[in-house]
Amino acid sequence: MKENQDPPLQPILNAELPTSVVQTLDREGGKLHQVQIAAQSDLSPDGQFGEQWLLIDQQDLWVIDRHNGTAHTRHRFPLASIQEAHVERCVGNGLIQITADEQPHVLLHYSNELTDRFGRVAHYVQERADHGPDVPLPSPDADSHRCLACGRFLVDPSSKVCPNCIQRDKLLRRLMSLARPYWGKLGIILALLVAGVVVDLLPPYLTRILIDDVLRADANQNWLVWLVGGLLALQVIRVGLTILKNWLTINVSARFTSSIRDKLFAHLKSLPVDYFDKNQTGRLMTRINQDTGELQGLFSQMTNFALNIMLVLGIGVVLFTMSPALGLYVLIPTPFVLAAAFFYYRYMRPHFKRFWIARWRLNAMLNTFLSGVRVVKAFAQEDAEEGRYHDRNDRLLQTRLQVDLAWSKFFPLISFAFGAGGLIIWYAGGQAVLENRITLGTLMAFLSYLGMFYGPLSNLTQISQALNRFLTISQRVFEMLDEEPQKQAAKPVSKPHIGGRIEFDRVTFGYDPYYPVVRDLDFTIEPGEMIGLVGHSGAGKTTLVNLLCRFYDVTRGSIRIDGVDIRELEMDQVRQQIGMVLQTPFLFRGTLAENIAYGQPDASLYEIMRASKAANAHDFITRLPEGYDTIVGEGGTGLSGGERQRISIARAILHNPRILILDEATSSVDTQTERQIQEALDELVKGRTTIAIAHRLSTLYNADRILVLNHGKLEEQGAPQQLIDNKGTFYNLVQMQSQLARLDGAVAV
Amino acid sequence: MSKAFELVILDPKQVHFERRDDTLSLTLDGDKHYSRVVLRSCFPVSEEQRYLSVLDATSDEQTELGILEDWQALDEDDREAVAQELGLYYLTPAIQRVDEITDELGFLYWTVETDKGTKEFVMRNNVIRHAREVSPGRWLLIDVNQARFEIPDIQALDRASQKLVSRHLYL
Repeated sequence: MKENQDPPLQPILNAELPTSVVQTLDREGGKLHQVQIAAQSDLSPDGQFGEQWLLIDQQDLWVIDRHNGTAHTRHRFPLASIQEAHVERCVGNGLIQITADEQPHVLLHYSNELTDRFGRVAHYVQERADHGPDVPLPSPDADSHRCLACGRFLVDPSSKVCPNCIQRDKLLRRLMSLARPYWGKLGIILALLVAGVVVDLLPPYLTRILIDDVLRADANQNWLVWLVGGLLALQVIRVGLTILKNWLTINVSARFTSSIRDKLFAHLKSLPVDYFDKNQTGRLMTRINQDTGELQGLFSQMTNFALNIMLVLGIGVVLFTMSPALGLYVLIPTPFVLAAAFFYYRYMRPHFKRFWIARWRLNAMLNTFLSGVRVVKAFAQEDAEEGRYHDRNDRLLQTRLQVDLAWSKFFPLISFAFGAGGLIIWYAGGQAVLENRITLGTLMAFLSYLGMFYGPLSNLTQISQALNRFLTISQRVFEMLDEEPQKQAAKPVSKPHIGGRIEFDRVTFGYDPYYPVVRDLDFTIEPGEMIGLVGHSGAGKTTLVNLLCRFYDVTRGSIRIDGVDIRELEMDQVRQQIGMVLQTPFLFRGTLAENIAYGQPDASLYEIMRASKAANAHDFITRLPEGYDTIVGEGGTGLSGGERQRISIARAILHNPRILILDEATSSVDTQTERQIQEALDELVKGRTTIAIAHRLSTLYNADRILVLNHGKLEEQGAPQQLIDNKGTFYNLVQMQSQLARLDGAVAV
Repeated sequence: MSKAFELVILDPKQVHFERRDDTLSLTLDGDKHYSRVVLRSCFPVSEEQRYLSVLDATSDEQTELGILEDWQALDEDDREAVAQELGLYYLTPAIQRVDEITDELGFLYWTVETDKGTKEFVMRNNVIRHAREVSPGRWLLIDVNQARFEIPDIQALDRASQKLVSRHLYL
């Protein structure tokens, strides 16, 4: 079973094949030296964890099952008979299917961990079926979810090496170099720490003098005022040092993390769109805000550790020099203190965590209830909700009681561990005093030092965990900084004024390269032409637009604007000439004027108004109490869907793009508003190359040409009337909609 | 078009499945043959035995052919084929023993014995999102690859396993 748990790292090409598999292949006429692909699956045909091999040689595709050391062939297909191959997602696993001689065949299942591996295999088989045996073999890269350094499971798929393989020294060096501007201040902090430790160590020393040399009938009693004065002065200095140190630490750590946040954002904006797809907004927010915030906290914690280390060392040295024998006694309770600190984190933390989870669940439930209170009331579910709330509240109570109970048991125990150390010293030290080996003052000083010793010591048990956390977070931050920005051509072609001719040349693309969303798209759009893009949801319409804007790069084929591959073009320049009106218009927080001028910040107020007028937005804007100065976006004035849409149209008009993309621009508004928006759009499309995606086909009546997409393929194209006459897919869609429209009392097309 | 909005319930007498190697095919009403179909359970967690959606895997959008209300009512051969297919489609190993769970920097590394063999997996240590109690004592775990593992009944595990699980899932 062992080898099943850990499938080989580089399975694609000539992986180490088990002897029994080789023998099976041999027996049935396969040639080992011709095997080009050997991919191991971790599931057996009956769905147990097991082992199957998919092999591809020059002629055939084989699936060989290996069980208890013996192997047998389950499938064998001549490659020439295979027409198609793809992977499908199941639940917790996936499968690879081929079509051979018109018949579908499932080859094998594999667990989710190997999705990438079999995706590449299927892709290769498909390519080979389409383009013959000369297509390149898939790269034998390590599987994506494994650490680049050690090959272990990569638990955080968005990082590249596992925590064990972080090169600590390199990372620390990099952190230090980032912190270079603060080195001076860090030096001061360190000096303050040392000074603080010295000041901490002095008072018990003074009390020792006080007891031994002053508080005695025969001694220098006039020293008393000086010694107490000295103690007071030390306390004052201590306060001053602490304030200064804390202020500096906070200052440095806050500035440092704020500069990292700036760096991260500056880098983030240059990353390609697919980076944002792979990393959900939430995770990115965590990286930028929470991680850097935590970095700041850890930074302060690190200075604390430094302080505690110095304290422990300083007190240790003092104790041993004062009385080596008593110093040894101090060490006796040390293991208990360390153990107590360790157990605290091991046993108290789960209790706290349980409590936090219960509290989170209660809050989440309350949150849902409050935001959905109308629904609750409309469906008369108040009582059911109350029951749910009660259950969660009860759970919260239980966990709270558990925490308190655990704490009430634990706290006396740890106090005892600390106190017992003191008792040992009282006993051993007391004897030493009675036998005149040490003075009473020494004993008292000893006990004071002791009180200062265990706290920092127990704190130090957390150092490795905190350091690890610190390094992991730094690593994550650096990984994001190291993420490749979108590839730019070495010498991009500059096109300050594009004509607007668009060519799709056999374009194939999938967000996940193994699941193509569009296939072999091949068409040309002439400058100034208005194109209607039609198809069911999921047909690839928005994908096509995303590709044109080069939010993604095509998997195969090319897209050309004015005859130049868009990968060669200066992309910023091109995007500035592409305007977009999306289904859900996005307004940034700011005034309406700022929003309209988003792509053109230097536009004059006159131009802004002219664009709004053309977008049919001017009138409603001037009716607002604050006109163009109205604040919209998060926390601003609410606008209706139609109003927001007209703002985004005004934005596009002002932007004056050569290529205009309308993605369902009127789908979320009522008929009346739609008419207003449509009028605005008609104005906008004049003289521009326009691609309009629409569900409501009536909005495409004046398109020059309609492209009908179906499952990522171009099914039909032509003038609207021509397509209707053809009675194809478009005709059917129109028929369907006019039936619906009749129900609506309106007439479509 | 109205047909697309109505549930089609399949008559178990008219449904005949056949598994050829790993491919499940279907003959409906004696004459309609589908060379590959996919089965999906409508309630895979709460009602595994009932309401099976049967899809035509050869069509582009995998259209639903209909719903099998109770697939236990099928003939024995068909039932066997369905059970095999579902066993492959839904990979949710049931955890029978937990050998080890380690908590490392926000991730839980599990080593478990399941009904499908020994397995190691890694789960985000975010219990709220990745572990779900689907019914009292029954837990569903989702690992970093979206693979699923089930603890059918926590009380049925041995003491050591129970202790590990409740410690790390904060039960």
